[in-house]
Amino acid sequence: MSVKDFFEWADALWVSAMIRDSTVLFPIIETVHILALTVFLGSIVLLSMRLMGAGLKQLAVRKLAATLALFTNWGLATMLASGALLFGSEAVKCYENPPFFFKMGMLAAALLFHFIVMRPTLNAEAGKARQMLTGILALLLWFGVGVGGRAIGFY
Amino acid sequence: MLMLQELCQWLQDLQWATALRESEWMFPIVEGTHLLALAISVGTLMIIDLRLAGFILKDEKVSEVSNRIMPWSLVGFVIMFITGILLFASQAVKAYGSIYFRIKVAMLLAAGINALVFELTLRKSIRSWDTQEKPPFRARLAGVLGMVLWAGVIAAGRTMAYNF
Repeated sequence: MSVKDFFEWADALWVSAMIRDSTVLFPIIETVHILALTVFLGSIVLLSMRLMGAGLKQLAVRKLAATLALFTNWGLATMLASGALLFGSEAVKCYENPPFFFKMGMLAAALLFHFIVMRPTLNAEAGKARQMLTGILALLLWFGVGVGGRAIGFY
Repeated sequence: MLMLQELCQWLQDLQWATALRESEWMFPIVEGTHLLALAISVGTLMIIDLRLAGFILKDEKVSEVSNRIMPWSLVGFVIMFITGILLFASQAVKAYGSIYFRIKVAMLLAAGINALVFELTLRKSIRSWDTQEKPPFRARLAGVLGMVLWAGVIAAGRTMAYNF
C-alpha cells in the first residue's frame, strides 16, 4: 500500500463520507479540535514555563505535571481523535497539501518528544539546563504543529 | 443600525485594513497568531478558573495560583485582542452580518462582566476564603461561568469562518 493508497482508503471510509456530506459535522468536530487545542496547549505552556522557571514556581514540577496530566492526556487524545476524523473527511485533499505533511512531521516529532523527553523530565529531578531546554523545545514543537495545522486551511 | 454598518464599511475600506484583507501572507499570519494565542490566554486562564471552582490545585491558595498565571494570560489576551481587532477591521462588513460574530461579541462582553464583577466584589474578601478547597458559591460560579463563556467565544469564533 503506497502513501497515496492510504489517503484514498481513509477518504473512502463511510465515516469520512458521512462527515463530508454533512453541513454541520465538520465545523463541530473542528470546534472540538480547537477547544482541545486550547486545553492541551494551555497546559503545555504552563508546564514549559514551570520548567523554564516561570509561572507556578511555588509548585514542584512533578506535582504540577500530575495536576495537569488530566488536561495534557485527555486534550491530546481528543485532538488526535478529532484530527483523525477531520483528516479522513478530506484525506485526498490533504495529499495535495504541503502544510499537512509539515504538520504531520511536526506532530510525529512532538509526540516522540512528549513521551521520550518531556514526561521523564517532568517526573525526574532534572537539572536546570535540561529543564530549560525541554521547556523551550516543547513550546517550539507544539506551536509548530499548530502553525502547520492553521496553514492547511490557507494553502 | 445603518450607522454601525457604515462604520464597518468605513473601517474595512481603510488602507491598512484593505491591505490586510488582500494580503497573501499577512492575513494567515495574523489569523494563526490569533488562534495560537488562545493557548496562552484561555488555556492558562482555565487553570485559574478551575482552582476558583474548587476542582484542582486545592491545597494552593487561589490568590497564589491566580497571581502566578494571570500575567501570562494577560499577555495572551493582549495578543488576541490586537490580532482580533486587525482581523475584524479587515472584514468588518462580513463580521457585522454574521450571527456568530454577534454571539461571539456578546459572550466576550459577558466574560468581561463576569471578570469585572469578580474583581469588584469577591476579590475584596479573598483573604477569608483564599485557602479553602471549595471557595464560596459565588466564586465557584464565576470560575465555571468563565470557562463556559470562553468556550462559547472560541466555538462562535471558529464557526464564523463557515458559510452555512
